[in-house]
Amino acid sequence: MADAKLSPARRLQQLFPFDWSLLRHAGAEPVPYHLKKWWFCLGGTPLYLFLIQVLTGIALTFYYVPSPEEAYASVQAISTDIRFGWFIRSLHKWSSNLMIIAVFLHLLRVFFSGAYREPRQLNWMIGVGLLLTTLSFGFTGYSLIYEQLSFWGATVATNLADAVPLVGPYLAYFMRGGPEIGPQTLTRFFVLHVGVLPTVIFILLGLHILLVRLHGVTELQFEGEKLEERDRFFRFWPEHVTTELMIGVFLMYLLTILALIWPAQLGPPANPAVTPEVIKPEWYFYFNFRLLKLTSLNVSVVLTGVLLLIVIFWPFIEQWLVKRFRMPQSVSVGLGVAGFLGFLVFTVWESLAH
Amino acid sequence: MGEDPKLTRRSWIISAVMAVGLVLSYGVLAAQGVLYLLPPLVKPRTRKLFAGQLANYELGSVRAVVDLQGNQILVKRGREGIEAYSSVCPHLGCRVHWQQEEGRFFCPCHRGVFDAEGVAIAGPPADAGQRLAEVPVTVDTKGGVVYLEVKDLRS
Amino acid sequence: MSLNTKRMIVAALSFLFLAALLVVAYQESQRFRVEEKLDPVVTAANSGCVDCHRKDSPALVMEWEDSRHAKFGVGCVDCHQAAAEDADGWMHEGARVAALVTPLDCARCHAREYEEFSRSHHAKAGLIINSLDNVLAVKVAGMPDNNADAINGCWQCHGSIVKLKRDEQGEVVRTGKEHRPVLDADTWPNSGMGRLNLDGSMGSCHACHSRHTFDAKISRSPENCGKCHMGPDHPQIEVYNESKHGIAFYASRDAMALDKDGEWVLGRDYSAAPTCASCHISAYMTPQGATVANTHDVGERISWTLRPAISKKQNLVVYDDGYKEDYMDSRPLPAVGDSIDTEEKYVESEQLLAKTVRRRVSRIVPWQDRRAAMKGACLNCHNDHYVDNFYEQFDGLVDLYNDKFGIPSTQMMNDLLADGVLDRNAPFEHHVQWVYWELWHHEGRRARHGASMMGPDYTHWHGMYEVSKHYYTEFLPAVIDAAAEKSSAMKQKYERRVAELLTRDEHLWVKGLSPKEAEELRKAYMKRYNQ
Repeated sequence: MADAKLSPARRLQQLFPFDWSLLRHAGAEPVPYHLKKWWFCLGGTPLYLFLIQVLTGIALTFYYVPSPEEAYASVQAISTDIRFGWFIRSLHKWSSNLMIIAVFLHLLRVFFSGAYREPRQLNWMIGVGLLLTTLSFGFTGYSLIYEQLSFWGATVATNLADAVPLVGPYLAYFMRGGPEIGPQTLTRFFVLHVGVLPTVIFILLGLHILLVRLHGVTELQFEGEKLEERDRFFRFWPEHVTTELMIGVFLMYLLTILALIWPAQLGPPANPAVTPEVIKPEWYFYFNFRLLKLTSLNVSVVLTGVLLLIVIFWPFIEQWLVKRFRMPQSVSVGLGVAGFLGFLVFTVWESLAH
Repeated sequence: MGEDPKLTRRSWIISAVMAVGLVLSYGVLAAQGVLYLLPPLVKPRTRKLFAGQLANYELGSVRAVVDLQGNQILVKRGREGIEAYSSVCPHLGCRVHWQQEEGRFFCPCHRGVFDAEGVAIAGPPADAGQRLAEVPVTVDTKGGVVYLEVKDLRS
Repeated sequence: MSLNTKRMIVAALSFLFLAALLVVAYQESQRFRVEEKLDPVVTAANSGCVDCHRKDSPALVMEWEDSRHAKFGVGCVDCHQAAAEDADGWMHEGARVAALVTPLDCARCHAREYEEFSRSHHAKAGLIINSLDNVLAVKVAGMPDNNADAINGCWQCHGSIVKLKRDEQGEVVRTGKEHRPVLDADTWPNSGMGRLNLDGSMGSCHACHSRHTFDAKISRSPENCGKCHMGPDHPQIEVYNESKHGIAFYASRDAMALDKDGEWVLGRDYSAAPTCASCHISAYMTPQGATVANTHDVGERISWTLRPAISKKQNLVVYDDGYKEDYMDSRPLPAVGDSIDTEEKYVESEQLLAKTVRRRVSRIVPWQDRRAAMKGACLNCHNDHYVDNFYEQFDGLVDLYNDKFGIPSTQMMNDLLADGVLDRNAPFEHHVQWVYWELWHHEGRRARHGASMMGPDYTHWHGMYEVSKHYYTEFLPAVIDAAAEKSSAMKQKYERRVAELLTRDEHLWVKGLSPKEAEELRKAYMKRYNQ
């Protein structure tokens, strides 16, 4: 019943019956104390960076043209003609690099704090899924520039996909949009980068955050620490929000500095007839590339697949190892350290090599 | 918990400064984003086009020179010198013809008529007070060469 | 960390962020959008030519596309169009064209340059047809049915008389389905400076302004002039390369603004060095801050004529129709307003003819004024005392040559002619005629040109040394030998003449140095080289 004498606020409440007190409730929620530790912010960091990616990515889509004839030129136009185009593009590039680094570090934090264990196995797997999605974002995005490294990187990647046992050829066919790289490939990568992957990441992110909220953040008890009850928790608003703000503004500042000092460059345009002498993927695939150079195509593909499966199912594998062989925690930690070092060594090795 | 009033005032000042900082910095970023989304206003570039020797323009005659878009520009040698007009009728874009005997420009689509200076004197263009667009002319008297300033093609 | 601390950190970071964004904004404002190169404009009239010739001779079309002409839409037809009366024109794919583009064609737009050029020595370079040089090429080196020396040699710099190929009946030979008139291979291709064209014009603009870019940087470069202004008889480019002017140029070529569009002014657009063009043609700054415009009349700033056997200062007589004549200093000048019967060479029906034209003198330019025009360029880098003293040095060398060798040798030759020893109709019959020819035409010129442009080695070793050596060891003996061929009486007569000549002060050295001078020389060599 519409009553003309209602105050504007009450009228709004009639039209939009949302319980605003819920927000206050959420704001007052206690946040576990260890979130005061900086390395626990590594979960929120990639989220924030992803937000930047979405905004700068949408901005770039205003001017980018996903056809082989015009892609490179449109990127060039963004870099030279459009106002602040170079800046938006550089932000996008650096934010993608930092996001991948942040996701890696977050994975390391989760692993070494044992936060993947019962009952959080599912969340770990979703997390790995998020990592893979992020890497896919990087790969598809870089291919869109259509410079030499983009084109030939995509060629190598699709050939690698082709080598996957059983599903390889179909996978490669799906990626290429045909028997060989052509205009459909670029369109596909564009749709993946701008439509499919964002949808996937939104779903995974949603599930990931939901599970974190449902399970609660893994509480840690460090040895010798005995905290007062009131110090075990602190307020979401304004303390935690301000912390997040610190990180946020710091990241913006860092990205701007990076964009100023090392703006995004543009290599020579893609030439399907000429492969450049030095062809490398983006740095986050270096470890894989080095592996490929050390072994054969099939071996490296299978090996990567096996490693990936181990990582995905690690919580269950570890559970089985503990039950079966009574494997101590330190072995787990040791394996994690070994894995990380291996990744680091291979990456650095490849970056130094010609 | 009861807070120290000095602390509260201090908190307010710091909060205010923080708010100003955030608003300014993100505001500037937003402004840059808006500028980014607005395509730059680029003046259509013009360039000089060779339009023949001065000696080839007889007094009172009109010659057509094709510009870079493929449109005709009507170049006239009048008493005051060389004048050039776009042949595009300002009414609805048909192309006008020069009628030597009548000394006028005529548009066949709706019978628009322009005088020798390109000013509309009859038909719909005259009703709207229009005139043929003037094309800037440069004459190099030393070399005896005529140039027109035409819109450049941006490929 | 307390809440306030956090807030302060956020505030600090946000201001840092703001500062970084302002730097971004500054960077953005400083960015210039690269000016795109103007594309060549192919008008409707030229598109047919370009489309086809782009396949036939792609580099030619590419050169044109790079040219300034193309930027304004000046293309093939605009230059190659032929009038109905042009004998070398033919209908080609819907347009009447001629392969040859003459100065008259360029004059359609470049009227001032044509006016200046057509009066200049460059345009008259083809008149060498009536010279001993031509005789040497055609008659002495050539055969009656093979004139290749003149065709490939002299005429390629000086210019040929362009002729159409004709059959025995005298009809023009035509070829192909378009019935293109064939140009006589003896006369074309030829880009000689003074080419005598079918349309009556003299000269060839593209001798300096190479087609089809017609790039200014080519015409301003000294190497361009060096194609012709080189060699044993007029080594201008060699002298320039030896001189400090040349050294400065080659060291600072990149600073010379050679490809500047439009005006190219010494003392404003460049300063590192002069090129040939700088002094002889191009614009320069005056002390008053004005610009003296360039001139395509290369003789305007020349006060000596160093070409003939005896060099003379040259004045300029300008007639009311713009016709110019050099008057040697010994020739009495007319007065302004006088009507003079001038003899003018012209080309008609592929022949070089002469006609008499009565003209009124409109002004006289004495050699001093011509020299002042040249000095104007010098003064951009050198002060007037320097320049005046230089000209004294230069004049002195020319006078030296004239006085010691030029005039006496010419006199000797005239006497031999008068005495019937030499035949007026046989210019290269005797050895003495060859020696005399080279004396003034080769080493004499080398000496004079060396002095004119500060090439000391050319002045002396390639120049006056060889003049002296040949004069004493070849010319004088050859005079006697020639006389001996006539009769022994003649031989005696000339032996006496030569002996008399050698008694002059300047020739006394032949007898030997003074004992003191000889002793000094010997001691110097002993001390330095122990020899």
